[in-house]
Amino acid sequence: MSVSRTEVQASVQPDRATRPAGSRKITFTGWLMAPGITLLGVLSIIPLVMLILMSFSKVRLLGGLRLEFAGLDNWARAFGDVELWKSWATTLAFFVSTLGIELVLGVAIAVALNRLVRGRGLVLPLILLPMFVAPSIVGLLGRYLLDPTFGLYANLLQSIGITQDVLGHPVSAFAAVVLMDVWEWTPLIALITLAGLSGVNPSVLEAASLDGASEWKKFWHMVLPSIRPILLVAILIRSMDAVRYFDIIYVTTNGGPADATKIIPVRLYEAAFRFFDLGYAAVIGIMMLVLTILIARFFVRLMGEKEEN
Amino acid sequence: MSAAPAVDAARNFGPALSLRPKAKNLTLGTLLTWVFVAAALLWTVVPLLWMLLGSFKGSGDVTSADPMWFFTPTGQNYVNLFTGANNLSPYLINSIIAAVGSAVIATVLGTLGGYGLARTAFKGKKSLSFWFISTRMAPIAAVVLPLFLVFRFAGLLDTLPGLILAYLSFNLPFAIWIMSAFFEAIPPSLEESAKVSGCSPWQTFWYVSLPLTKAGMVTTAVLCLVFAWNDYAFATVISGPNSQTLPIAATQLVTQTGVDWGQLTAIGTIVVVPMILVGLAVRKWLVTGLTLGAVTGE
Repeated sequence: MSVSRTEVQASVQPDRATRPAGSRKITFTGWLMAPGITLLGVLSIIPLVMLILMSFSKVRLLGGLRLEFAGLDNWARAFGDVELWKSWATTLAFFVSTLGIELVLGVAIAVALNRLVRGRGLVLPLILLPMFVAPSIVGLLGRYLLDPTFGLYANLLQSIGITQDVLGHPVSAFAAVVLMDVWEWTPLIALITLAGLSGVNPSVLEAASLDGASEWKKFWHMVLPSIRPILLVAILIRSMDAVRYFDIIYVTTNGGPADATKIIPVRLYEAAFRFFDLGYAAVIGIMMLVLTILIARFFVRLMGEKEEN
Repeated sequence: MSAAPAVDAARNFGPALSLRPKAKNLTLGTLLTWVFVAAALLWTVVPLLWMLLGSFKGSGDVTSADPMWFFTPTGQNYVNLFTGANNLSPYLINSIIAAVGSAVIATVLGTLGGYGLARTAFKGKKSLSFWFISTRMAPIAAVVLPLFLVFRFAGLLDTLPGLILAYLSFNLPFAIWIMSAFFEAIPPSLEESAKVSGCSPWQTFWYVSLPLTKAGMVTTAVLCLVFAWNDYAFATVISGPNSQTLPIAATQLVTQTGVDWGQLTAIGTIVVVPMILVGLAVRKWLVTGLTLGAVTGE
């Protein structure tokens, strides 16, 4: 892209002309930020206000959109809804199991890749592939692989004696959607850890080897502490994603069987777009939002600490 | 300090790592490592390979009770996708317009905004950054619910501009945040010397800083593209018959009576392959990008 000097001058002119005249001081960088911030403001503040309004209303869609003030009805219902709290518990279980497995596997893969002297350039891209797959396709692919009559993985399971329909039973369905998420996002943890491992000083490790430290001791006492900040970032990023998580479950089990996989986003969708109980769904949305903001606070605090170092 | 080391530092998150044990206990340790890596490879690659194979299988083979690794390949599934009653082309075009549109807008506005965020110190900057990140991380379900009503009111449901706007709600804060991380990796001294030699703020930005973050812009654009292209949650709610995207087309194949797995794996391949290609192209910067620059410089 080439822009001639005169054009640049011309484009700068109005900015310069207005600045001394106007009393409001909007700096050059302020002008650069303005379009993005304005658009983002429209895209986030209006929906947020709307969400809050909805949570105190009975929302009617038929015959034009109407919000009827309903006081704390939706809120009272949500807090007294045992099913909803069960969904939160499912969400927590889902989050703990996906993140736990992803961390252990991801770190293990990173350490293994780091040990590879040759072939890493070939292996790493292949390991990363799942990250780019649309989660809805991951779900559909999971259904294809687990189909009881022709699925490749179902077939493998049958050969070791597990003949039940994996997605049809609560425990196995839960395990299956967890593993689909693990399949998709373990590569991210591995990639981040691998970046962290590059920060470990090799000469220190070498010195430790000379002192006779075992591989495991070196990993536990030297490598792990030095990659801890990076792992923490990975955990925060993934926990925010876990609150958002939706696609895979929606296309595989849709919350079932027997609500075994009904995590919060799925319940929100169900409330909003199947039962058209939009006010109630808004309360769930706000709960999710509050949780995300809490996690985001940790994230930003962590970033701030990093900058101070 | 010149620009080169700083930029190198920013991109130094790729596979080029220095920590390599000397091949001392070559036998058992290396063997175990390779066995583990091979297992990890099988775990990641087999499902994708199976999808790819499925898309080239005939209608009998794709749902054969005995999984087939060897078969006579056919391109019929792809032909059917584009010639059958449910022609895929409109979905494909919608997907391209919505994803590319939101990626381009997000990258342009995000570059401007990211530069502003990186280069100014002002009161409330922290709150502003916090607002960006919480917008980016806001649960899709919580965002799409009010957007549905707002868009319905504004007549944006089932339109491509509506879908692009919806995607901007997560791509724009992402682009601002990640671009500011890339700009922060450029030493301010470079810009100061440009200013000393008489460049206007815009010229400094355009001729000095911007060229140094080309890689950042490409990464941002690609990741925005991937996020939007892969979206399913927004598209289910906001799009309609006139604006549906490929992931919606794929899931619709399932709800019809009798799933055509040959066609489904073919759609899956069409959705997945382009994103894998562009994603791998920016893999050097993936860590910076996907952690919003949080681990840059560590």
